Amino acid sequence: MKSFLEKYAERGFLLSAILSASVTIFILSFMFLFSIPLLKGGHIVQFLRLGWNPHDGKFGILPMMVGTVIIAFYALLIATPFGIGCAALISVFSRKGFSSLLRKLVEIMTGIPTVIYGFVAIFLLVPLIREIFEKGTGMCVLSASIMLALLILPTIVLFISDAFNSVPKNYLDAADALGATLVQKLIYVIIPSAWKGIISGLVLAAGRAVGDTLIALMIAGNALQIPRGLADSARTLTSHIALIIASDYESPEFKSIFICGLILFVFTTLIVLILRLLGYFEILREK
Amino acid sequence: MKKTKIKINGLNFFYQQKAILKKLEGEFEERAITTIMGPSGIGKSTFLMVLNRLYESIPNCRVEGKVELKLDGRYIDIHKLPLTTLRKKVGMVFQIPNPLPMSVFKNVAFPLKLSGIKDGRVIEEKVEKALKNAFLWDEVKDRLNDSALQLSGGQQQRLCIARAMIIEPHVLLLDEPTSSLDMEAALKIGELLEDLKQKCTLIIVSHYMDLTKRISDRVLTLKDGRLEIS
Amino acid sequence: MNRPVEYTITFFAWISGIILVAAIGMLISFLLYKGIPSLNLSLVFGETSPLDALLIRKEVVDGLFPAIVGTTLLVLTSVILAIPVGVACGIYLAEYCKTRWKPLYNFFIDVLAGIPSILVGLFGFALSVFLHKHLSEHIYPCFLISSLALACLVLPYIIRTTEQSLGNLPFSIKTTALSLGASRLQNILFVLIPHNLSGIISGIILAIGRCAEDTAVIMLTGVVAMAGIPHSLLSQYEALPFYIFHVSSSYNSQMELMKGFGASIILLAICICLFTISNILKRMAANRFATRT
Repeated sequence: MKSFLEKYAERGFLLSAILSASVTIFILSFMFLFSIPLLKGGHIVQFLRLGWNPHDGKFGILPMMVGTVIIAFYALLIATPFGIGCAALISVFSRKGFSSLLRKLVEIMTGIPTVIYGFVAIFLLVPLIREIFEKGTGMCVLSASIMLALLILPTIVLFISDAFNSVPKNYLDAADALGATLVQKLIYVIIPSAWKGIISGLVLAAGRAVGDTLIALMIAGNALQIPRGLADSARTLTSHIALIIASDYESPEFKSIFICGLILFVFTTLIVLILRLLGYFEILREK
Repeated sequence: MKKTKIKINGLNFFYQQKAILKKLEGEFEERAITTIMGPSGIGKSTFLMVLNRLYESIPNCRVEGKVELKLDGRYIDIHKLPLTTLRKKVGMVFQIPNPLPMSVFKNVAFPLKLSGIKDGRVIEEKVEKALKNAFLWDEVKDRLNDSALQLSGGQQQRLCIARAMIIEPHVLLLDEPTSSLDMEAALKIGELLEDLKQKCTLIIVSHYMDLTKRISDRVLTLKDGRLEIS
Repeated sequence: MNRPVEYTITFFAWISGIILVAAIGMLISFLLYKGIPSLNLSLVFGETSPLDALLIRKEVVDGLFPAIVGTTLLVLTSVILAIPVGVACGIYLAEYCKTRWKPLYNFFIDVLAGIPSILVGLFGFALSVFLHKHLSEHIYPCFLISSLALACLVLPYIIRTTEQSLGNLPFSIKTTALSLGASRLQNILFVLIPHNLSGIISGIILAIGRCAEDTAVIMLTGVVAMAGIPHSLLSQYEALPFYIFHVSSSYNSQMELMKGFGASIILLAICICLFTISNILKRMAANRFATRT
C-alpha cells in the first residue's frame, strides 16, 4: 500500500522538475514561433540595421542594440570600481560591527523595487543632469547609466564580498605572519585568489544591466537613434519591447519585438554558460 | 553451538573507483558482540554502512559480492530485501548521537510511526520498555516531552539506542558509540551493550582499545580491506 | 608598494562605502520628504469611505485601494501557482535526481533565473495571443496571464532555496531516519522538510517580494492604469508598481505626483518588510543545526 504512494510521489516530483525545465524551453519556442515569419522572409539583415520606421517597413533594431550595450557598459564602468571598493571595505578594511552593518544595508538595497529607483531618479537625478549639460531634457544615457549602476551595485558588492570572504584562511594567516598590511593582503593575496568570484559577480551584474527594463524606459529618453554621447537620449532592447506593446496591439512591427526577445534570450544563455565555466554555480550551491 | 547471523563472501567496495574493501569475508555470530578495530579511515564505518545498505545514500559508491542475513532460518541476500525492511532488521547507532529535533518521547516512538503503528497505548508501552532497556527510563521519565536536544551526550546516545531497539531489530550496528562521550557515560553504554546482546547481534566498530573490547566475544581487525582475527 | 598608494586605496574603499550610503540615504530621504505628507487614508481610499471600499460596496476611483488589492491578489495567485511546482522540483533535485541529469536541469533552471523580466512578460503576452487564436476569443492579456507569467518568473527562486535547504544538510541528518527504516518519502515528509521549513519559507517570501515589486512582466500582460478591483481571472487589473510608473510618465497635477510618492513609500515599505522577514528566516534556518551537541 505504501509503496505505490512512494511511486506516485516520485513521479509527481519528476513531473514538476520536467515542467520547470520546460518553462525555459517554452519561452524560447514562443520567441522562435513568433519570429519565424520575419526570419523566413530574409529580413534578418534588415533588422540589424538602422532605421525604425514601421510604415516604410523598416524594422532596424540596431539603435536599440547599441543603446543596450552602451548603457550597460557605462553602468558597469561606474559600478565596478565602487563595487570592489565597497566589498573591500566590508570584507577587509572595516571592523566587525561596522562591516556587518554596511553589509546589511547593501542587502536591504537588493529589496528596493526598480520602479522606485526610476521614479526617484526622474525627480532627483534628471533635473541635475539637465543643469549640468545645459541642454536636453536630462533623460539620457548618463542618467540611465548612473541609476543602473546604483541598481546593480548591491549585486556586485555582495558577490565580491562573498568571494573575498571565501579566500582560504591559511593564505590570510600566512600573509599576516609575514607582516603584510591590509592593502598588501588585499592586492597580493585576496584579489588573486578570489578573481573567479569577482568576474562571476561582474558577469551577473552585466546580465542584470542588460536585462533591466524600467530604468532605461523611465530615464533614458527612448529616442530612436544611436546614441553618440552621454547626453544623447537612447533606447534599449528591453524598453523598446515595453514601448511597442504599450502603444500598438495587432500591428506588423509587433513581430520585430520577438526578435528582440530572441536576442535577449541568447544573451542570457551566453551569460549562464560563461558563469558555468567560471564555476559560479558550484559556489552558489555550496552556500 | 555457534550460529551465524551474517555471512559475507567476496565483498568488494568501491568509492569513486578506489577499492576500500577487497574480497572481504566474514561471519558474525548470533547474539554475540563482535568488535571491529583498525586505524582511522581504513573503512570500518564503510563496512557497517554496507550491512544496512546505507552506503546507497552516498554517490559514487559501488558494491560487489554477497552479504547474507539469516531470517526465519534462511539466509537471504540483503540486496534482495526491500531497503526499509532491511533497516528495520538491522539497526544503526552513530558515533555522534543524532536525536531528531523532537521531544524525547517522539524520538523513541519515531520508528513506530514509520511502521504505521497508531495505537497510543501500544506506543506508550513500547516507548517505556525501550527506554528501560536502554537504562534511560529513570532519568527521563519526567521529561518525556522535553526536547531531546537538551539531554547530555551520554543520555542522547542511550536515547538513540532505545530508538533503534524499539522495533526489535535482529542486528544492531554501532559506529564508535562511545568515542564522543566521557568515561562515565561510556561505561554506562558498555553495561547497556552487554545487556543488549541477549536480545540481538551486536557489531561494534571501535578505533581504540577502550571498554568495548572488554565486553566483546570476538575482536576482528580490518586491514588492507579485509577482516582478520586479532 | 609605497605608502601613498596604500593610503589612496584605503581612502578609495572608504569613499565607495560613503558614496553608497549617501546615495541610498538621499534616495530614501527624498522619497520620505516628498511622500510622507500624502500618507493618509484618502491616499488609499480617495473620496470613498474606507468601510464601503473594504466591503466592496462602492468603487474607489481616486485612491490606491484597487492597485493595492490588485497587487495583493496577484501576488497570492502567482505564489500559489509557483509553490507546488517549485517545492516539488526542489525536492526532486535534492533527493531523487541522478547525478547524470542534474547539470541539464540546473542549466535550464539557471537560464530561467537569468531571463530578463521583460522577456517573461513577452512570453506571457505571446501566450495570450496564442490562446486567443487557438482557444477562445475572450482571452486577452489579463490577471490570469499575469499570474502565470509571474509564477514562471519566481519559480527559480523557490526551486533554488528548496534545493539548497534540503541539499546542504550533513550526512547524519539526511540518513538518521533512513537508518531507522524510513522510506525516502517518509524521510522527506517527516524529517527533512519540517526541519528546514524556515529555509523553504524564506524562499517563498523572497518570491512574494519579487512578485510585489515587478513592473515589466505585468506591463505586458494585462495591468492597466484604471480598472478597479479585478472581478474575474480574465479581467484586467491595477497594481501598485504600475501605478507608480504610470504617474511618473503621465501625471497631470502636483497632487497626483504626491500620490505617486505616497504609493512609492507604501511599496517600498512592503518590499523591505518582506525582504527582512525572508532574511530572518534564512538566518534561523542556518542556526538550526548549531543547537546540536
